[in-house]
Amino acid sequence: MAATAHSDVSGNYDEAIMAQVDNIQKEIAENQPLVSEKLEITCLQKNYSMDDFIYQAKIKDLGLNYSHVRKTRGDGNCFYRAFGFAYLEILIGNQLEYDRFKSLALHSKDELVSLGFPSFTIEDFHQVFMETIDAVGKSQSVEELLKTFQDEGLSNYIVVYLRLLTSAQLQKKSEFFENFIEGGRTVQEFRSQEVEPMAKESDQIHIIALTDALGVCVRVVYMDRGGNSVNHHDFPEDGSRPLVNLLYRPGHYDILYQKQL
Amino acid sequence: MANIAIKRVQREFREVIKSEEVLKCKIELVDDTYTRLRGEIAGPPDTPFEGGNYKLDIVIPETYPFNPPKVNFVTKIWHPNISSVTGAICLDILKDQWAAAMTLRTVLLSIQALLSAAEPDDPQDAVVAQTDTCHNIFVPDQTTEFGFMFLKDMTWWPNATPSKDKEYEQKITGLISMGFTKSQSLVALSTHSWNSERAIDSLINS
Repeated sequence: MAATAHSDVSGNYDEAIMAQVDNIQKEIAENQPLVSEKLEITCLQKNYSMDDFIYQAKIKDLGLNYSHVRKTRGDGNCFYRAFGFAYLEILIGNQLEYDRFKSLALHSKDELVSLGFPSFTIEDFHQVFMETIDAVGKSQSVEELLKTFQDEGLSNYIVVYLRLLTSAQLQKKSEFFENFIEGGRTVQEFRSQEVEPMAKESDQIHIIALTDALGVCVRVVYMDRGGNSVNHHDFPEDGSRPLVNLLYRPGHYDILYQKQL
Repeated sequence: MANIAIKRVQREFREVIKSEEVLKCKIELVDDTYTRLRGEIAGPPDTPFEGGNYKLDIVIPETYPFNPPKVNFVTKIWHPNISSVTGAICLDILKDQWAAAMTLRTVLLSIQALLSAAEPDDPQDAVVAQTDTCHNIFVPDQTTEFGFMFLKDMTWWPNATPSKDKEYEQKITGLISMGFTKSQSLVALSTHSWNSERAIDSLINS
């Protein structure tokens, strides 16, 4: 915890910034669902001008392996939301993986409590998380799962729980993770500044922690201005088969669907 | 507010009530909607705030618990991280470092901790403007004419030894005699390093 020195000038300034951020978020919320329908991969072409040769070429390259994309809202929670939806969608009809994950999720609350999280407040988040998983187990349709993720109330509860799991993993393996934290911060500071608050964006360290905590392999396909083709990175990088594919463009994650061969 | 969130506020409310004695905090409902609460914290021992009770206005936003409660001091207080005019509090967990797993109890304890350890030199947000206010504080003292005791050029507590400063009282009296209210004079002087001329200028020009 830290305070910021105050004057009425900076107070008004802070309030103005917060109001502006609120407005931007409202505008984004009105124009973009939290998780979109499945869209043809070619829809990405419209995001860039036709003479943006680098991106147009990369989208073609992306289309060699991926057929569809599901967009997520750019609200700073996109990694958690994209991961959460994509993974639960995979679990529909994958009983073996479902059973493994359900048992892990069920016990995760006790682990959080043993790591010092207040059971008092995490209960609500765990409850919504488990209800969502239970529904998936009762042969819920993808459309129903999408409805859950588009409902801000429910969707954000799931995001918070994934943030808590990420934070807990950072704490559990703090000796390992402290080597990756920039700016001379402690793991504890990093967790309370960059992981637990809503709308804080995710970097590789968050992905490593969450995929490690859940035992799920994620492939992130990177699309930026460097190079001529898209490249990818798997978390963890141990040869496991990625269950979830995400598209990363600077500052944002969406869900990718592989081409059915 | 969603049903699940209202239930949670009710739980949090009961949690604070249960440990009021230990926390030296109080909380009460303004109405029965749980969207607006009234808090009170005791000034921590060994600080200039010891002995004072500070009232807080707490508003639970529609988006709770994903956004923090809005908390303001109702009782006037002089502290580098709290506005003496609006009562707004500069505390990270009430802004961008709020996490949904935190509670009203966390908030009250953090505000109490802020009174024990002000952070006038927080390097993250150091704004020149605040050097004007950091080194002058007042604390409630009903024995003085203004209801406040003025402390001058003190180092930050817990090392500070409060002492009355007549010079400040005289400056305020001076401005009041020119027709400004006590509150106006206090704010103008404190935001201008207790320089009477600049304080008067600001009052005339505003």
